[in-house]
Amino acid sequence: MRAPAAGDQAAREILLSMENVSLSFGGVNAISDVSFDIRKGEICAIIGPNGAGKTSMLNVINGFYTPRQGRITFKGVARAKMRPYEAAERGIARTFQNVALFRGMSALDNIMAGRTLKMKRGLLWQMLRYGPAMAEEVEHRRVAEEIIDFLHIKDIRKVQVGRLPYGLQKRVELGRALAMEPELLLLDEPMAGMNLEEKEDMSRFVLDVNQHFGTTIALIEHDMGVVMDLSDRVVVLDHGVKIADGTPDEVKSDRNVIDAYLGVAH
Amino acid sequence: MDLLYKIFLEPFVQMGTAPDLLVQTLWEGMVGGMLYALIALGFVLIFKASGVFNFAQGIMVVFAALTLIGLHAQGIPAFVALALTIAVMFALAWSVERIVLRPLVNQPDIILFMATFGITYFLIGFGELVFGGDPKTMITEELFLPKGSWDIKMLGGFVSLQKIDVAAAIIASIMVAVLSVFFSKTRIGRALRAVADSHKAALSVGISLEQIWVIVWFAAGLVALVTGIMWGARSNVSFALEIIALKALPVLILGGFTSIPGAIVGGLIIGVGEKLGEFYWGPLVGGGTDSWFAFVIALIFLMFRPQGLFGEKIIERV
Repeated sequence: MRAPAAGDQAAREILLSMENVSLSFGGVNAISDVSFDIRKGEICAIIGPNGAGKTSMLNVINGFYTPRQGRITFKGVARAKMRPYEAAERGIARTFQNVALFRGMSALDNIMAGRTLKMKRGLLWQMLRYGPAMAEEVEHRRVAEEIIDFLHIKDIRKVQVGRLPYGLQKRVELGRALAMEPELLLLDEPMAGMNLEEKEDMSRFVLDVNQHFGTTIALIEHDMGVVMDLSDRVVVLDHGVKIADGTPDEVKSDRNVIDAYLGVAH
Repeated sequence: MDLLYKIFLEPFVQMGTAPDLLVQTLWEGMVGGMLYALIALGFVLIFKASGVFNFAQGIMVVFAALTLIGLHAQGIPAFVALALTIAVMFALAWSVERIVLRPLVNQPDIILFMATFGITYFLIGFGELVFGGDPKTMITEELFLPKGSWDIKMLGGFVSLQKIDVAAAIIASIMVAVLSVFFSKTRIGRALRAVADSHKAALSVGISLEQIWVIVWFAAGLVALVTGIMWGARSNVSFALEIIALKALPVLILGGFTSIPGAIVGGLIIGVGEKLGEFYWGPLVGGGTDSWFAFVIALIFLMFRPQGLFGEKIIERV
């Protein structure tokens, strides 16, 4: 459990607000009437048993899925429908459960791809590598190198990511998301399939990102130890329904949560 | 013994005794190969960005050439017509994205492949409706493309270079250079490679698939236009040209489906191989080798390098 950050929970500004969101595929309800807020600067964990709708929830937030009903307000602007690249433009970055990297590209190029939206100079100037466009490229490269330093992946920056071990791929993917300088970072099982040491490294990075850059983080994670250590707040989903929402301590002792995880005696 | 002599020795003896003829054959092979390379380039651009084998590339060549000729026939000056044709190719790219690709996003590749058949037949029908089905002559003079040939004295004989072929080689090289710089140095290029690797990851970093698709289809359209002008200058422009798209297949197999240099080198190898095969070995089988020899070359390469000369080796971690 982290020491409470400066300012009371309730006093923090709401960054993202989900109100009565429902999502269904054909007749199957993936998410039913879920509401919760993510506040600026916090680390919010979304947990729940398999098939609870956690990944669907992230997909709704960054625009991969359009909810059947409900309202999503990000940075004070409500929207019915948002395309993924619009979400990216407005400051939402994410990683994926089964690492989605540009496998044919180097780690550095993957991270540079995260800067796509920040590049503004004309294509013609970029082709000519001329003046301002060149300066811009150099500046983006500098940011990318900073991220590489931050994640301690200097030695693999020129390696094609398809060749990297899984743990490092996850790190590169985090780097690519960070390169977008997001306000809200969505991490889908950042520690899945990692050993203890890798998990500790990744936890460290997540905390550092949160503290140094002030990035708000929403993460899905199965490792309860990690969740309880990292998060300020935990939202629990089960079968697409929200069953609890509170601090790690509150959630840990919640009857519904225990039932959902351990099963109820009928 | 006689047959073996004819296959393995006689052609080389011929090459040695008449080197000027060999040079001429090589040059013609290069020129033909360059056009194959241009068609293959159109395929590669679209395949790289969307993983779709665009069957319509051949008809796009015909359509672009016919649009140019058709507009000029309406009394529009050649270069204005050229600009308008470029605009038409952009409109085509935009429509394909909007009407065909966008509704089919996330469908299996085979569905998208079939959709390009649909585009092909639409363009054939629409083209015949607007421009008529008869063969037309490319407006080479109006576009200031040179005519005639240079006869160069060398190796105890003459080698004849068509000026239009030399011009085609120069224009094609410039276009390839511009395209490769565009796709390697600009943010669009990086985005293109990103889209090729993973759609959802590309979306998550803020790359718009729609924009990328319009850009690659437009680039493929421009390549088709240049191909159409060059090919049209050598023969007529007719719908029969559409089947040259099939000639791009061995080139792609050879060069790898995702490599721009591969398309160029593959095109040249196929072109030169085809001409050499036709000239020196063709008589052995009674000629007519040009319809199948390219595939034999591709097949031989395929046995040794299944991913093509420049194709990316697929690495799968287990």
